[in-house]
Amino acid sequence: MSGGTAAPRRPAGAPSGARASWLERYGALFRAAWLVDLQYRAAILIWLLLGVAQPLVMLTIWWSVAGGGAVGGYGQSQFARYFFAVMLVDQLTLAWDIWYIDRWVREGELNFRLVRPFNPVHEAIADNLAYKVRSASLVVAVWLIVAAVWPAVRLPVEPARWAAAALAIVLAAALRFLVSFSHGLLAFWTTRATGVFQLHQGLSMFLAGRIAPLALLPPAVATIAGVLWFRSSLAFPVEVLTGRVPLGMPYVRGIAVQALWAVVWLIIYRLLWMRGIRRYEAVGG
Amino acid sequence: MSGRGAGLSGHGGRLSGRRYAHVLGAFWQVSLAEELQYRGNFLASLLNTVFWMAMALLTAGVFFRQTDALGGWSFWQVVVLLGVFNAVAGVVEGVLRPNIGKLVEHVRRGSLDLILVKPVDAQFMVSFRQLVFWNVSDVLLGLGLSAYGLHRLHITPAALDIAAFAIAVCAAVAIVYAVWLGLMTLAFWFVAVENLAVLFDALYETARFPVSAYPPVLRFLLVYLVPIAWITTVPAGMLTGHGSLLRALEAAGVALLALTLTRLLWRAALRRYTSAGG
Repeated sequence: MSGGTAAPRRPAGAPSGARASWLERYGALFRAAWLVDLQYRAAILIWLLLGVAQPLVMLTIWWSVAGGGAVGGYGQSQFARYFFAVMLVDQLTLAWDIWYIDRWVREGELNFRLVRPFNPVHEAIADNLAYKVRSASLVVAVWLIVAAVWPAVRLPVEPARWAAAALAIVLAAALRFLVSFSHGLLAFWTTRATGVFQLHQGLSMFLAGRIAPLALLPPAVATIAGVLWFRSSLAFPVEVLTGRVPLGMPYVRGIAVQALWAVVWLIIYRLLWMRGIRRYEAVGG
Repeated sequence: MSGRGAGLSGHGGRLSGRRYAHVLGAFWQVSLAEELQYRGNFLASLLNTVFWMAMALLTAGVFFRQTDALGGWSFWQVVVLLGVFNAVAGVVEGVLRPNIGKLVEHVRRGSLDLILVKPVDAQFMVSFRQLVFWNVSDVLLGLGLSAYGLHRLHITPAALDIAAFAIAVCAAVAIVYAVWLGLMTLAFWFVAVENLAVLFDALYETARFPVSAYPPVLRFLLVYLVPIAWITTVPAGMLTGHGSLLRALEAAGVALLALTLTRLLWRAALRRYTSAGG
């Protein structure tokens, strides 16, 4: 991971105390990202609103479909819990990196990042950490307030399950990050990288469980979602968090699928980066 | 519209409605010439429209696997609504976002000054200078989808229904414009918020479904506070039997009110504007 293709650009006398210096680098990158975000607090709040609008709309429509009964094992309170979990997990695993990478490549903003003594991917990772700490704590705070007055969205107090969900969320975040970053790297070859990613997002509306829990989709579609990386990227951690996935074999299998796809996308990312950077001709700034 | 700009432009020069039409024609001619340089975009835009329409239909399909009606609307009635949703989205992407969507940037960078000194009404200039022509495919395919929905419903709208629909659609476009103008005008107060347009996207999500499918409180908000109901539910309702000519006239009234209120807000904002250094 470390240095990567940026390694040859490192000054000859670069420090070799790699451990400590990576911690420092991440500390600095995180601090910078945090301060930038602080400057755009209101803008972040608006992105957050957009992020929760869609699950809320889906929730209210399912609410009216379910009425007093249940559809596919989901009654009103199950839907509420499901979509609240979607909002939280989505904020924690959000990956907007495609928009940045695409611009870095097309407008030459990649140039100064290449002369830094580390791969630009680390800046993106630090950015993600800073944003997610902020937005997720906001969603958790709102959730706690809502849960105080509305029992339906309360989660059972099961530390083991929360730990299990945390692992699934971390894997989902890594997976979505790699998918988004890799799509961004397509900008080395085409100006329509963001367009390609939007098609991916369109499909993930269904396959990641944003419109409905996968159990309510046609079985064939749900199967495709599980075989590909889509369920791993959102629905699976949501199902773990809401208690739909038993903590035995089904959980282990889900984690294995997540890890497998994360590795696959890690390989795709490395290939795209190494080939792309070789053909990259900087745009003057 | 005619003549209104003359009094409001704040410049001595009298600009008639005809003159405004002429200016508009010139703006759009330039836009079209620009767009024609990127013909590949048309195919991309067309494919994009078809893809998202398919996604919207499949989404509705997921709900209708579990129910026969959403807020009293059948599947094909919702399809008619989705057609209107798509057509209005085309207007948003083709006219509103490329123009008034950039207001925040104009205010931040001070380039609004360049617009204010022009001898046309600033609101007019900020709103209609550019046209992303390809989005006409969204409008046409959207209306086509509505027509197909009607065909599946075995409805042949009477002339009066079509007239009511036309009024309601015009009102819907005017209301969408007013919502954008209102939101973007907030930039004068909150300069730091660069993504105000995203608020519209969040609101517009609710327009994918008939308002009657929402819980009463939300329905009330969508009709009276943020007038989303008037954008898709009301026009589509004219064709699917959920409305009447009276409702269409109400929509026109709401549109006029929205345009007037946002015009006042715009003028208040301009009085406040002191330009950005740059």
